[in-house]
Formats: sequence, structure tokens, C-alpha cells
Amino acid sequence: MIFFTLEHILTHISFSIVSIVITIYLISLSVDEIIGLYDSSEKGMIATFFCITGLLVTRWIYSGHFPLSNLYESLIFLSWSFYIIHMVPYVKKHKNYLRAITAPTTIFTQGFVTSGLLTEMHQSEILVPALQSHWLMMHVSMMVLGYAALLCGSLLSVALLVITFRKVLRIFSKNNNFLNDSFSFGEIQYMNERNNVLLSPSFFSSRNYYKAQLIQQLDHWGYRIISLGFIFLTIGILSGAVWANEAWGSYWNWDPKETWAFITWTLFAIYLHTRTIKNLESVNSAIVASIGFLIIWICYFGVNLLGIGLHSYGSFNLH
Amino acid sequence: MESLHSINRLNPSLPRTLFIPCNAQIHSLCNRNRALHFRVSCKLKSSLDARKNAKLVSQKILLSEKVPPPLAEEKGDLAGDGGEEAGKSGRGGGVGLVKRFSRRVLAVLSNLPLAIGEMATVAALMALGTVIDQGEAPGFYFQKYPEENPVLGFFTWRWVLTLGFDHMFSSPIFLGMLALLAASLMACTYTTQIPIVKVARRWKFMSSPEAIRKQEYSDTLPRASIEDLGVILMGAGYEVFLKGPSLYAFKGLAGRFAPIGVHLAMLLIMVGGTVSAAGSFRGSVTVPQGLNFVIGDVLGPSGFLSTPTEAFNTEVHVNRFYMDYYDSGEVSQFHTDLSLLDLSGKEVMRKTISVNDPLRYGGITIYQTDWSFSTLQILKDDEGPFNLPMAPLQINGDKKLFGTFLPTGDDDSPKVKGISMLARDLQSIVLYDQDGKFTGVRRPNSKLPIDIGGTKVVIVDAIGSSGLDLKTDPGVPVVYAGFGALMLTTCISYLSHAQIWAMQDGTAVVVGGKTNRAKAEFPEEMNRLLDRVPEIVESPSKNPEGVGS
Repeated sequence: MIFFTLEHILTHISFSIVSIVITIYLISLSVDEIIGLYDSSEKGMIATFFCITGLLVTRWIYSGHFPLSNLYESLIFLSWSFYIIHMVPYVKKHKNYLRAITAPTTIFTQGFVTSGLLTEMHQSEILVPALQSHWLMMHVSMMVLGYAALLCGSLLSVALLVITFRKVLRIFSKNNNFLNDSFSFGEIQYMNERNNVLLSPSFFSSRNYYKAQLIQQLDHWGYRIISLGFIFLTIGILSGAVWANEAWGSYWNWDPKETWAFITWTLFAIYLHTRTIKNLESVNSAIVASIGFLIIWICYFGVNLLGIGLHSYGSFNLH
Repeated sequence: MESLHSINRLNPSLPRTLFIPCNAQIHSLCNRNRALHFRVSCKLKSSLDARKNAKLVSQKILLSEKVPPPLAEEKGDLAGDGGEEAGKSGRGGGVGLVKRFSRRVLAVLSNLPLAIGEMATVAALMALGTVIDQGEAPGFYFQKYPEENPVLGFFTWRWVLTLGFDHMFSSPIFLGMLALLAASLMACTYTTQIPIVKVARRWKFMSSPEAIRKQEYSDTLPRASIEDLGVILMGAGYEVFLKGPSLYAFKGLAGRFAPIGVHLAMLLIMVGGTVSAAGSFRGSVTVPQGLNFVIGDVLGPSGFLSTPTEAFNTEVHVNRFYMDYYDSGEVSQFHTDLSLLDLSGKEVMRKTISVNDPLRYGGITIYQTDWSFSTLQILKDDEGPFNLPMAPLQINGDKKLFGTFLPTGDDDSPKVKGISMLARDLQSIVLYDQDGKFTGVRRPNSKLPIDIGGTKVVIVDAIGSSGLDLKTDPGVPVVYAGFGALMLTTCISYLSHAQIWAMQDGTAVVVGGKTNRAKAEFPEEMNRLLDRVPEIVESPSKNPEGVGS
């Protein structure tokens, strides 16, 4: 009982901090970057990270197995992985744009996990015979870490696409009055940027220079984080294959989840190869990575939603 | 001088080609050839002293050696009875043709956009394979993809069945695509990656500050010494080479080689998969506790390379099958105690297997995969024990249900009445009376009798049967080797190959560098390292140009 209370407390603390943090982020994004607020939001992220770690440890102790046996637990682990990715540059004192992506992603995952949608899955379930293996920890943690890193990377690519094509979008919105409202936010940001840039003598060139630099940074960090996620995904898939050879009698069964993981792997392999073509712009590989964003969600959620195949442990109970 | 010798060695072969009677066309070709040689030798004389040029000349000679094949080929065709020599050169031309053709094929296969297209196609086919239900009877597809109402306006069962999409992962299209991908992998490794390694291994110093400044990252350190920079780079894990005033340093060379390893590991996995598909045996069996089976009877070959081994004669005896339960009553684990007996009946191995813990013997693996309810042992009015076979009952849902029937009263009456017994697992049996009304639940071994319509029933034991999967797979060691190599090389591929050039330019040091992966981190790292290079505050006359390494 004490464990349940503890878990409850930790969940609520982390959710409250996360809501505060997202407010701070929105303020600093739309109004101005206030250093003090930004620092406090960072502290908030660290506090949430410890809360979630505590949550996972608590579940581990009272259920007696690594807390990755159903979708709820793997989602908590996913948001924990996002926190890890968020924390690493902070520890290494790198200033990069990754953090601007990881923070909202973490918040949304966390919000989704703790929202009422999945309440009936919250209680820890018993482990079915096939899951009782040491490979569970290795396979699932690597897969989820891989998903987290790949999602971050592909979101960076989406950001790159948005920034590159914002001009096009703005023209589009001018032509179409209906869409005008939805892009007003981008307009505000643009105005902001303009105000800042007005101070510098060469107005247009420097703005383009900063934009190009931002795109390049996004591109480089996206590539790095996707490479990292690709390593985790590879290890995850292969350890899963070894485990399948122990439990199901074959290292590859073309089970839907397996197949989709392989599709994800192939897609990011394509991404890594498009990077090696010299005369191809970063936009093209960013498009591939953005497709990857959808594919990961199909792989992660879609297959469980249908509850098909051998991987149907963490499926939804929608009845 | 060496190149001069090679010219001399080459020249005697030239007249030989001229001896053969040939038409004007060949003459002109020969002449062209000869003219080329002349040009080469002229060049050689003019620049004998320069070593660099000598290298250039020897390359030219190689080039002129390559020219003859088309000439020889034509000659072979024209002078059909030209004797042994002509025949020989004709064969050489054939080899040349094959070589050229294979080079063309290599060039096409190693084309990166093609490889990307192949990967995308494989991914799309796999996605399609998960969308279309696999391995159903044709009737299923007639119903699901009818001709009068096609999916997306064109996709009907004809597509599914003619293209083999009902068994996607063994369909010729999919396997052919994989084979093509494997060919591309090989071609790309051979034509693109290995040359990159050859280039990357060369240490090249840059001789002008301008070239260094052109690099992706460049900086100039005033009043610094190149030796200090070298020491600092060495401390940061770089391999440093110093030659006079110029420096070359690199780090993470393995990151350049690793993608080759990734490709080779992929090929190894593909080879292993092929061996698995062609040379394995598979089979599954449900054995009631206490019974035997022979391994060879269960296993069926999967491909043309499958050959049975000595171990196939082994007999397997199921000593015991039992389940573990959680407190909530759900199954936590299945166990089967197996004994392996050789031809003479001697026990060669004994092990209790469970899910995730298979038995391995002589290349054969026995997995615990399933279970079933075999028989129920009961006492009827203290008579027996009787063995009632349990039948699996099909209900919706994944959970198993077994049932059996104990007739009571007259055996001769047309309307057979009796007691029904149902069980979800081996733990508890639910009993229903003659009218189908629930009467009670009994556990086996409880020895607690239950009275149903005057019949006293005691459930003595519930005997389960173990569902076992057997296989031999000679591809597994190969595939595992590929897995290990793939994991390792993918990790190493994350390393970024960084190269730094530097040059002492007066009192200043010009530094330039580039990296292939960590393009965002590299400038930061460089700035950090260059900040640590000490500034020389002495008079400029004492700059360390003569220190030399």
C-alpha cells in the first residue's frame, strides 16, 4: 500500500512540475527570454527527472520485475528517456537546440501518460511466461531509448523543415485568409526576430545568416541524435532477435511489431545514407526523418492498438 | 630510372602486335598506340629528374597498357586462323568484355539512390505484408479484396495472389528485392567504401596556410608554437604527426572503417538467414505427461540443405509437465521435465525446460511453447480410476477451455446423460450435473468427493500435455556472429573521424580541421583545445621554428 501511495505522490508531483515548466517555456518563447525563469524551468526539469526515476524504482521494487511490461510503463520509460536526452547536454554544458525540442516532447509524453486515458493500465501487471527473462530489461529499454532518441531527432528535422519552408507557408497564409489565424503565432515570432535584428547594421544578410546557421545546427544535431537512436534501435532489435530465439524458437518471425521495428530501422538507414550524398540538401534527409516520426508512432502504438501478433502484451483494453 | 626500364620492357611487346597481317584500320590503331608510347617516352626524357613526374609517367604507361584490349579483340575476330597467339589474345578480349560488363554492373549496383530505392521498396513491401493478412486460404482473399469493390480502386485479390502477397515474407518479389539489396551492399562496399578507406589512411600534410584556411573549421593562433598544439592534441586523444612546420592529426579513424563492417555484418546476417531457411528442421508436438516420442518423427525439413543427424534417433520421454501459478491464479510459468534416451534406451540427458529456457542437445533445440489438457483421472462411486480424455473447446478469446463428459445411468438408453466437467487450467475442475446446472468446483488431489445426482465423483489427477517446438538451425551461429558484428560496428560508426592540419606561419599557427559526423560538436571541441595552447610571450626572434621533431 505504501508503494501505491508513493507512486501516486510521485506521479502528481512530476505532473505539477511539468505543467509549471511548460508555462515557463511558453512565456519565454513568446515574450522574451528571462534568464531567471529559464533557469528555474531547468531546475523543474531536473526535479521531474528525479520524480520519474523514483516512480520507476518504486514500481520495480513492488512488482519485482523491471517496469517495462506494459504500455503505461513503457511510456513512463519513454518520457524518462527523453529526460535523459534532455539532461545530457545540460551536464556537458553544451548549448544546443535539442533541448528546445526535448522539453516539450517530455512534457507531452508525461501528460499523456498521467492523463485519464490509460488509467486502467496503471496497475502493474503480472509477467506472462514469455516475458520472464533477463532479456526483457536489455531489449525493451534499448528499444524505448532508441525510440526516444529517434523521435527527438526526427522532431529536430521537422523543425528544420518548418523553418526552411516558413516563408512558403506565410505566402500561403496570405493567399488563404482562413489559414491566416493559425500562422499568426509564427508571425509574432518573426516580428520578434525582426526587432532583434534591427539593431544590427546589415539587416537582411544577417537575418539570413542566422537562419542558415540555425538550420545547419538543427541539421547537425538531428543527425547526431538520430545516429545515437539508430545504435540503440539496432541493439534493441538484435537483442530481441536473440531473445526470440530463446523463447519462441526462431530469431525472426515476421511478427507485425518486429516487422515495423525493421521498417523503422530501414527508414533511418535510408536517412543515414541520404546524408552521405554530397549534393543533396539537408531538407531531403529531413523529409525522410519526418516520415520516420510517423513510422515510429505506428511501430510503437499502432501495432499495440491492434493487439496483433506475438508482441500483444501491452495492448489497450478498449472494451 | 625504374620507369625507363618499364618502358623498355614494354617496347618489345609492341612489335609483336605489329607482325600480324592486318588491315588499314588496325594499322591506324597500332599507330595511335605507338604514337602514345612515343609521347610518353618524350615526356620521360624531359622530366627524368622530377620524381613526381616520374610517377605521372608510370601512370600514363599503365593507361597505355589498358588501351590494347579492344585492338586485340578485333584482331582475334579478323584473323580467325591466326594461330595460338591470336587465340590467346581473343580470350583476353573476352575477359576484358566480361570485366567491362561486370564493372558496368558494379557501377549500377553501387549507385546510392538505387540502394536507397531498394531499401524503401523493401520497407514498403514489409509494411504491406503486415497490412494484408498472411497465410490465409485463397477464399479469404476473394472475400476481403473482391473484384467488384477494389481497395483504392485497383487492388483486388488477383494482385494479392499473383504477386504472392499472401505469403509476403517468402514471396519471390520480396526475396528478390532482398537479394538485390545484398548485391548492392557488396557492390557499394567494393567500389565506394574500400577506396574511401585507402584515401583516409593516407596521412597528408598540407603545405600552404591557404589550403588549411579553406577547411570547414579554421583558426589562427598568434604567437603560438606548433609543438604545443601537437602535445595538446595528443592529450585529447589525437594521433599527431609532425613534419617540419606542418602538423597532421586525426582521431576516430575507426569511425570511417566501421560502415564497411556494418555492411559486411548485414551480409553475414543475410547469409545466415539463407542457411537457416535452406538447412533447418522444424516441428512441434503435444505430448501427454508420461509418453515418449522420437525426435526424427517430429522434425520436418524446411529446405533442400536439411540433412538429418545422428541425434534424430534420440527418444524423448516427458517425465512430468507442470505449471506455476501466481497468487491470483494466473499461470506464471510452464515446466516440462524431459529425459533424452539414445537407441539403447540409456538416458543421455535430463533437463526441466520452461519458456525462455530451452533444452539443447546435438544441434537440436527443444522449446516449451504450449500446453494442453490431456486426461482427467476420476473415481466414480469409488470405482476406477477412469481416464477421461479432455477435449479443447473453441471459445472466443485467447484463453483455453477444456471439457469432458462422464456418462451416468443406462449406457443403452438413446439419450445419454451425464456429468460435464470443464477446466481452464490444471488447477480446478468445474462440474455440471445432468441438467447442465453448476454443482461445484474441485481441485485435483483434494480427494474431496462431490455428489452429483447420486453419483459420487472424486477427481484424482489432472494430466496435462506439454506443447514442444523442436528445431535444428545451422544458420544460428552465422546469424549471431553477424548480430555481434553489427552491434559493434554500428556503435563504432558513431565515432567521428576528425582531421586537423596546422602550420607554423611565422609566429602564428594556422589551424584547420574537418570531421565527417560530429559537425556540431567539433568546433566547440576545437575552440576548447585551442584555448589551452599557451601563448609565447618572449621576443619574436626566439620562435620555435628550428626545434624540429
